[in-house]
Amino acid sequence: MGENNHADEPIIICRDVNKWFGNFHVLKDINLEVQPQEVVVIIGPSGSGKSTFIRCINRLEEHQEGQIIVDDIELSHDVRNIAAIRSEIGMVFQQFNLFPHLTVLENITLAPRYVRRQARRNSDELALQLLDRVGIPEQARKYPGQLSGGQQQRVAIARALAMQPKIMLFDEPTSALDPEMIKEVLDVMQELAQSGMTMLVVSHEMGFAREVADRVVLFDEGRIVEIGTPDHFFENPQHERTKLFLSQIL
Amino acid sequence: MRREHSDTHFYVAPLEAPPSRRPPITTVGPLGWMRTNLFSNRMNSVTTVVMAGLAVWFLWSFITWSIESAQWAVVYNNLRLITSGMYDRKEIWRMELVTAILVFLTGLGLGIWSQIARRVFIAILLTLIVLLVVPIFGQRIPEPTIYSLVEPQKAPSNFVFIGLEDDEVTVTLDPLTDLDDTGLHYVGYIESRSRAEWSTQSRAATTGELDLSDYNLTGVVRIVDQAGNAVITPDGPVEMAFTSDPQTSTVTFTLPQDGWYIVEVVRDDEANGGRDNNLGYSWLTIDGVELFSSQEEPTQRREEEYGSPPAIEHALFAEEKAYRFDGTRTFGEFISLQISPFFNRIILSVIVGSAIFFNGWLIGSLGKRERTIRRSTLIGWALALPAVVIILRGFDGSRLLPLVSTAQWGGLLLTMLLTVVGITASFPLGVALALGRRSKLPVIKWTCTLFIETIRGVPLITILFMAKLIVPFFWSALSDLDLTIRMMIGVTLFSAAYLAENVRGGLQIVPHGQIEAARALGLNPFLTTTFIVLPQALRAVIPAIVGQFISLFKDTSLVAVVGLFELVGIVDAIVSGQPIYRPYQREAYIFIAIVYFIISFAMSDVSRRLETSGAGSLRKQQ
Repeated sequence: MGENNHADEPIIICRDVNKWFGNFHVLKDINLEVQPQEVVVIIGPSGSGKSTFIRCINRLEEHQEGQIIVDDIELSHDVRNIAAIRSEIGMVFQQFNLFPHLTVLENITLAPRYVRRQARRNSDELALQLLDRVGIPEQARKYPGQLSGGQQQRVAIARALAMQPKIMLFDEPTSALDPEMIKEVLDVMQELAQSGMTMLVVSHEMGFAREVADRVVLFDEGRIVEIGTPDHFFENPQHERTKLFLSQIL
Repeated sequence: MRREHSDTHFYVAPLEAPPSRRPPITTVGPLGWMRTNLFSNRMNSVTTVVMAGLAVWFLWSFITWSIESAQWAVVYNNLRLITSGMYDRKEIWRMELVTAILVFLTGLGLGIWSQIARRVFIAILLTLIVLLVVPIFGQRIPEPTIYSLVEPQKAPSNFVFIGLEDDEVTVTLDPLTDLDDTGLHYVGYIESRSRAEWSTQSRAATTGELDLSDYNLTGVVRIVDQAGNAVITPDGPVEMAFTSDPQTSTVTFTLPQDGWYIVEVVRDDEANGGRDNNLGYSWLTIDGVELFSSQEEPTQRREEEYGSPPAIEHALFAEEKAYRFDGTRTFGEFISLQISPFFNRIILSVIVGSAIFFNGWLIGSLGKRERTIRRSTLIGWALALPAVVIILRGFDGSRLLPLVSTAQWGGLLLTMLLTVVGITASFPLGVALALGRRSKLPVIKWTCTLFIETIRGVPLITILFMAKLIVPFFWSALSDLDLTIRMMIGVTLFSAAYLAENVRGGLQIVPHGQIEAARALGLNPFLTTTFIVLPQALRAVIPAIVGQFISLFKDTSLVAVVGLFELVGIVDAIVSGQPIYRPYQREAYIFIAIVYFIISFAMSDVSRRLETSGAGSLRKQQ
């Protein structure tokens, strides 16, 4: 479990973030600060804007108002800023989004080789280490289509880690998985959290939130309803909406 | 990979699994295959029988025709024209060099990247052996001879031909008779060397097995020179009487000088009591005149040298009178007269080509793991096209490689050149247009769309005519450009527009998640397109792209219309420019149809292999 280093500057700062899809106001005045090595789990009903929010952090979505500052870089239209921030942030998707035409190894080494310009030997070595870390070193030469969902998602995590990011974003990483494969992915994520990675996780896995998260955030209708430590959040929720949400899913 | 969770049922498994049994005989093997695929129900059975019957009938008529009466001499006597057009004879070694280079590179590439099965290897060896053995049984077939029909009730035809001094000319007169009393089937044979060509019926006519009592045609054949003087040999004037006697008469003589000669046919109706309705026909044939290797020397140039042909009544240019004989011949005669000469022509090239191919293949398969060999093969292929063009074209004033202008390129060479240039140039252009059409910048987007839709809205033939006639009018710099190159540009632009739409289809099926994942990894748009989007998009549309290339290959035949002699154009020129081959258009066009088919089939086979190879077969949309 990540230790909170409150002495540090927050690594992610969101101030009054607003976003619209056309006329639809999807994020409303979001304010959130994430400390280095902190694990934040975002929960909430579907359509509440939680995925949109974390996609704003590496600018897969653009926010229209407010400020998002990641590792002292403010997200703006400046292409260089976006590139710099994206290389700091790893992202794992619900649908894995592995590149089906590349082998597992090539999936992992692609970005280090062409974005970081690492030598092939170094990136291969790193990739094999990462595959070992996520527990599937023997799958390096296979294609994603030959792997199970859980294995694919672990490759996706390894792929994100290969860029040696400071922050990892997880967008419902276990939602597309069969029940017996969820655990293998959560175990990898837990190990990652223990190693001190800053993580923002959108998830419906309450067990994971309770065990691994430093803080839990509830989103509803585009705004943050409640933030708290897992103990506080699950045992003693303050807000009526939180109580209702928890009563529905627990 | 997604497992279904079945509901729990109360079920107790037996202690031992039942032994697996063979499936019923009617469900597997050839019998099972036929049952499921050909005779699964009454309708299918009927269809199968009808279609099989049609196929057998069609194949049977085609095969019997091609064995019994097709005359393939038009193909192998013009092989050089068909392969390289008017390419300079003296420079033909460059064609051979280029072919050798490409064959070697193909062998190398296949050796490195393809798992050529042993059976393919054996098949090639067997083919080689056949190619080696067949010519032994063969003989060289002569060029077709000139022949004409002396018919009753018509004014006799006189031949006009050009002969060179010391040419030995044989004139043969063959009596013909009417086997069928209704009187319209000619039988006979041309001359002794081609006797085997002719039907058993015609032999019956000449061996006297037929009743020739009705036959009553008499007259005389004379050879005179341009001034009208009879050609005199030591035995007297060259003259030959024809009568009802069904024996062949032949006269052989040597020409005294270069120039025009006339073969006069004088029918003697007086001898028949003034009747001009005698029954019977006679073939008149002339052999030994070099006239008909006309591909070597155009008629025009001959006329410049020997003057205009003499004007005589009822004159026929020997070349213009050519009848097609549709007799029958045996299979043995087919092999020795039709197949062997063809193999005789190509055997050397095939042997040398195979040796080069296997050399490359051997080097490739032995050096599969060597990075230098793989790299040099790739570099070799990359340099191949420009190298081929440079070698074939040469330079103005060079002694080793004198210029052979592209106007002289023709036949299969031109077809392949247009195709390869079209493919290699239109592929990047098409991809660029497809990406441009999806661009967010309106100027680029609308330019690309306008280009694509304009080209797609116009037939290829129009574009070719524009390239030939209209574009140089607007832009004078282009009028100096060679027609061949203008056609290349036209074909390329046309193909690129269609290709762009195919590629765009592929781009649309790449899921957005792929692009997001690439962006999230920090890949810039260029890297994302190059490594993530295009490989997936192109792989998805391989069949469409290859289909596009195959139709590009076939569409190159349209340049014949604007006056280039590619495969179709050259065959057109052969059968219309060399009258002796005019009756053999069928054979000529069937031959190039086979050439087109083999190349198209090879292309689609490559496409099938690409689709199923490597990552292509494992493609999975999540």
